Amino acid sequence: MPEIKVTPLGAGQDVGRSCILVSIAGKNVMLDCGMHMGYNDDRRFPDFSYITQNGRLTDFLDCVIISHFHLDHCGALPYFSEMVGYDGPIYMTHPTKAICPILLEDYRKITVDKKGETNFFTSQMIKDCMKKVVAVHLHQTVQVDDELEIKAYYAGHVLGAAMFQIKVGSESAVYTGDYNMTPDRHLGAAWIDKCRPNLLITESTYATTIRDSKRCRERDFLKKVHETVERGGKVLIPVFALGRAQELCILLETFWERMNLKAPIYFSTGLTEKANHYYKLFITWTNQKIRKTFVQRNMFEFKHIKAFDRAFADNPGPMVVFATPGMLHAGQSLQIFRKWAGNEKNMVIMPGYCVQGTVGHKILSGQRKLEMEGRQILEVKMQVEYMSFSAHADAKGIMQLVRQAEPDNVLLVHGEAKKMEFLKQKIEQEFHVNCYMPANGETVTLLTHPNIPVGISLGLLKREMALGLLPDAKRPKLMHGTLIMKDNNFRLVSSEQALKELGLAEHQLRFTCRVHIHDTRKEQETVLRVYSHLKSVLKAHSVQHLPDGSVMVESILIQATAHSEDPGTKVLLVSWTYQDEELGSYLTSLLKKGLPQAPS
Amino acid sequence: MDIECSRLLPSVCAVLVDPKQFVADDTCLEKLLDWFKTVTEAESSLLVLQENPCLTELLFHVVKLQDVNSNILSFTLRLAGIFAAHENSFQYLQQGEVLLSLFSEAGPLSRPAWEDPSVRSGWIQGVGSMVQHERAVQFLCDCGAIDVIFSLQGDPSLFVASTASQLLVHILGFTMHSRRAVPLTTQDCDWPVCARMIVGHIEESLRSGTVPQITQALNVLTTLFGRCHESWTEVLWMRMNPFVGSLLEKEPLLAAHSLVDLFLSMARSPVFSHLECDLWILSTRALNRLSPTQSGPLALGILNLKDCPQTLRTKAFNILLQPLACVLQAASQPTGSPGLLDESLNDSVITDILLSSKSSCAGLLCQTLAHLEELQPMSHLLIDWPHVPLLSAVMTILRFCSGLATPASSVGDRLCGILIGCFRVQRSALDFLGTLSQGPSPSELIRGVVEILLVYLKSPDSSPTVLKKAFQATLKWLLSLSKTSTSSDLCPQTQHFLRDLFPILQKRLCSPCWEVRDSALEFLTQLTKHWGGRAGFRQALLSSEVPELAEDLLRDPESYVRASAVTAMGQLSSRGLCSNPIGTGSKNDEKKSLFLELLEILSTDSEGFPRRAVIQVFTEWLREGHTDVSKDKEQFVTKVLQVVSCDLDWEVRVQGLELALVFLVQTLGQHETECPYAVEMSSVTQSTQLTESLQMLCHMKLFDFIFSALCDCDRPVARKSCDILLYLKAKLAHHGSLQGSGEACTESLGTQNTAWLETTLRKWKARDQGQPSEVADRGDCQEPDDVLEVLRSVDLEGLRGTLAKSSDHIEKSPQSLLQDMLATVGILEENEADCY
Repeated sequence: MPEIKVTPLGAGQDVGRSCILVSIAGKNVMLDCGMHMGYNDDRRFPDFSYITQNGRLTDFLDCVIISHFHLDHCGALPYFSEMVGYDGPIYMTHPTKAICPILLEDYRKITVDKKGETNFFTSQMIKDCMKKVVAVHLHQTVQVDDELEIKAYYAGHVLGAAMFQIKVGSESAVYTGDYNMTPDRHLGAAWIDKCRPNLLITESTYATTIRDSKRCRERDFLKKVHETVERGGKVLIPVFALGRAQELCILLETFWERMNLKAPIYFSTGLTEKANHYYKLFITWTNQKIRKTFVQRNMFEFKHIKAFDRAFADNPGPMVVFATPGMLHAGQSLQIFRKWAGNEKNMVIMPGYCVQGTVGHKILSGQRKLEMEGRQILEVKMQVEYMSFSAHADAKGIMQLVRQAEPDNVLLVHGEAKKMEFLKQKIEQEFHVNCYMPANGETVTLLTHPNIPVGISLGLLKREMALGLLPDAKRPKLMHGTLIMKDNNFRLVSSEQALKELGLAEHQLRFTCRVHIHDTRKEQETVLRVYSHLKSVLKAHSVQHLPDGSVMVESILIQATAHSEDPGTKVLLVSWTYQDEELGSYLTSLLKKGLPQAPS
Repeated sequence: MDIECSRLLPSVCAVLVDPKQFVADDTCLEKLLDWFKTVTEAESSLLVLQENPCLTELLFHVVKLQDVNSNILSFTLRLAGIFAAHENSFQYLQQGEVLLSLFSEAGPLSRPAWEDPSVRSGWIQGVGSMVQHERAVQFLCDCGAIDVIFSLQGDPSLFVASTASQLLVHILGFTMHSRRAVPLTTQDCDWPVCARMIVGHIEESLRSGTVPQITQALNVLTTLFGRCHESWTEVLWMRMNPFVGSLLEKEPLLAAHSLVDLFLSMARSPVFSHLECDLWILSTRALNRLSPTQSGPLALGILNLKDCPQTLRTKAFNILLQPLACVLQAASQPTGSPGLLDESLNDSVITDILLSSKSSCAGLLCQTLAHLEELQPMSHLLIDWPHVPLLSAVMTILRFCSGLATPASSVGDRLCGILIGCFRVQRSALDFLGTLSQGPSPSELIRGVVEILLVYLKSPDSSPTVLKKAFQATLKWLLSLSKTSTSSDLCPQTQHFLRDLFPILQKRLCSPCWEVRDSALEFLTQLTKHWGGRAGFRQALLSSEVPELAEDLLRDPESYVRASAVTAMGQLSSRGLCSNPIGTGSKNDEKKSLFLELLEILSTDSEGFPRRAVIQVFTEWLREGHTDVSKDKEQFVTKVLQVVSCDLDWEVRVQGLELALVFLVQTLGQHETECPYAVEMSSVTQSTQLTESLQMLCHMKLFDFIFSALCDCDRPVARKSCDILLYLKAKLAHHGSLQGSGEACTESLGTQNTAWLETTLRKWKARDQGQPSEVADRGDCQEPDDVLEVLRSVDLEGLRGTLAKSSDHIEKSPQSLLQDMLATVGILEENEADCY
């Protein structure tokens, strides 16, 4: 029985390192290859040893697909391709391919900076990995091999994020990655056509939430920054090199322009330029508004935001600084934090999640006295704010996507078990489809009923049409013919053509049956009685009396002979082909009942 | 356990058992367990339990709770296991029957929470930790846990199922190890109860006829024979042999992959490696029965063994060769070259696979090529490694893939149709072709190799990944050709190859695809590195446009390519192979222009890769004494460091420090060695030289750079700077330059930190700004005395110790973890599902 198998190695009932294995019609695909930033050891990567216990990874996996550039979706990729040894194709969209290495590089540098870790991928490995990546366009059907094809759809969420359809023959699955069903300041809403996949694998981060608009959060953010700067304080915004940083830069830039503010805004990494370059390069991936205004004013060319120098941190007066890394666990952001933490006029805004074991996590959980090196205590007097700007579909959005795609089954990943449970019930109730939520390491197996395309020969079609059966798109029609398999294709042809193509000779198979009836008359007379009886009973059929003395009903032949031992008994020899098997059996049973009395 | 942690622990335990509280981050629980593991290994686990009664209370409490969070239940099971691993703690916990409540059938097994895979995983990990002493094993047998483990082998969670199988291996190994002294037979009564149960279960599974159960049993045996090499495993095998043997007779063959793994695991065990072992008979039978894709890994494994019967090796090798022999046969003319295998091929199965579909054909060929590639380095151990036919076969495959072949047979025709344009096979074949450069190849075949490589390098249809492999294979062949030639220059064949190669390289350097430009540059760098000194190469290169094109790529829009271009140009320049910029005059200016161009990249490129590449090239130039650099080393270093000191990328700054170190070593000499035969200069001469050197280094502002690097927020920069200063200190101390003149100096010796240094640096800056402009312009911002004062005052050794620790070592401490867990309760709930 054909089946689709799904095993999450990560993102099964959690929001960690996404890595989902899908097996569809014998093809094996890995969806995302993320890392968990909460661990510093092997646990940060998915356990790839479970992919295949036998043979080489490259032989087993047909391809890897990366949905977007966030590290929990692509962070383990260089490890997987350069250290574990996967050497097959990797697919992602053009913007993801461009931005992915920046984030991987950024993370590598932080990891090495922090601990001097040696068992980590190198810059060269990131490059070698990216050279294996095949970039795809939206809505472009990419043929991975003769049987497997993939297609990307717009997902919103971040620049270049895509949902992927995976198709083998008539079986298909869609993986959403992270997506957003409402447009935001610079990206559009996710969209997919009514592709009716066998399975929709969707993220469910906000499975139970109906989120307030992102605009509210943005207004709140600007208000807080503005108030701090107005009272002469400094604002620190720890960010990762790319993504949220650009979003917030656009926000502040526009606000500064509108309010005619003078306080300097700095960006501490040298990566803004490159990031902005990509936002410009992939302008078609942003939303309509940005594309329109791009002609008048390029949103990614900042007038107010300048490069940061280490010495600026000691300057008096207000300022806003974007500094990496985003969780305050090393480098510049941590150094600036140490300098500014003691002043209550200052503020730190954490625009994203912080894992345990970072200073960011500590201050977000309300800790105000932090132990520093050498038993020194740092008293945090500055204001600490958390603001989530992550753009995921909420419960309403997820339902909307299911409605749009019309899948046969839904599978939830990238969310929490409890929330998933709620959404699962809702989906099952509303759409009457099965919904699954496997934990990491658990396999869901779905049976599919694939359509097998069959070609019909022109000759056969013509013959059917000659019988008056004109083709009608709305009505399925029953066709008779011989099904032959040639060159891995099925074709329905007439039996004569099948014989010809396969080089076979025709043999006819006839069923025979002897019916004994009591009749003292001569054989010819008995036959005549049979003929008139059948003629009267089988009005819809052609009943003929042949010159050789036999009776023929369709393909059924009836002959009468005298019984060798009992002249009063006649033996009716009935024979028919398999096409008339039903009629043959009926006729035999009819004859067995005997003939009506002849009129005297 | 330190006092602070002991103080925090009760509150943390209270949070964990409180169903109203919520531990948002499950990594905390994992880290907490890591810590308990460390603690119980370092000190008496019983003492930890006794001194921290909250831990036992936690276990009891969770046992009683009916509606407990699955994560907490899983955590508790694992925690109990960690403590129960120590016999005295085990007894302590057993007194309250807490272990029974957690691990027996009356425990979580009967609760709805058991449906959650994390709970089952916690249970099995808890049991796994516990099995370190006989009492634990006895306990597990008595409470029915062994049967639970059996059932968990078939768990829907891969993680649980796999751990269950490994646990059975561990328990069996442990039980048998403790009975080592008792002689063993295959009779059941000789085996300890627990082992008897497990072995019985394995036997039953092997007999079951169902694939999942057979696979589980075979996996247990595979792991066992892989891990345990004691003599009792041979007795165990005597019991298993009939069951496994009968599996090989079944039609269809069940659990083939697991059988392969089992045979290989046994073959690697010293217990079974003797030549009389019946394993070899079974392996031979398996090779006959398995399909070609299944038998490949077994054949490879057998060939990788040190000792095994020669007949089996020959058979295994023939199996690996069969697909390629089939390809050769399909391609050969009736009077063609000799095939790969002498014996007549029973190749119908292989031909069927090769011709059935593109993916099955590619699958078998890629697997075979990869296996042979792995074997090649051991080819000298294989008596009949058919180097030449293999080379012919791989070239045939490459010809099929590129549509070059004109096969004579119908099979060849169809194969050609299937393989044409197949990137997957092209990549594998090119990899193997590269590997085959290590071996004696007749010159007519080399000509063929060169031709096919040129086809791939030239083909507009080659994908970037295929091209990269083609470049790598070409490099390997070129280098092997130069190895075989006896003269110092390249042989005519290679010269000819190069003449054809450079126009292609030129074309590839202009490819619209950055991956291709990058691979071409990497190839050029490698080739120059190896052959930069050979006249033939120099001539071919300089008569092409390659150097100019490489230089143009310094301005490529893709940063990776710019970085590779920098490295390539650095290499070309080192070998005096730089291009002539149009319209420039003397040779001197040319080199200067490359230096300035690279310096420009270093100061203005928006991305780290090219800047890093530049500073690496500069360091290399300085190290190897590049002629143009040697002319005015001081100016070169000053200019470079001036740019590097402002770089935002810490790796550029670290590499800048490396360049500074190279310069210092060249100026002041190597690290001091205690060589008794070294010729010593008079201390006066040395002292004068040192003072002069210091003056010069100050003048170059080298110490500005090194000192501010010591205060750098990026740890590796500070660490490198610290290492350099320690080198300097050692250097100067040896010659007495560091001895202070006054009492005050000795008092402050090595006690200052970086904060002091930062203040001092600021003071100097202010002082310099106050000086008349002509003095400041001269750049004498520091005097040697200032430098010596810093070296004297800063506690460099202490600093090195601090910098060696990770920057988050405090945040990672157990105390910090416990504080975080307490602080997080209820607060982070809102943020918990957020992601990066």
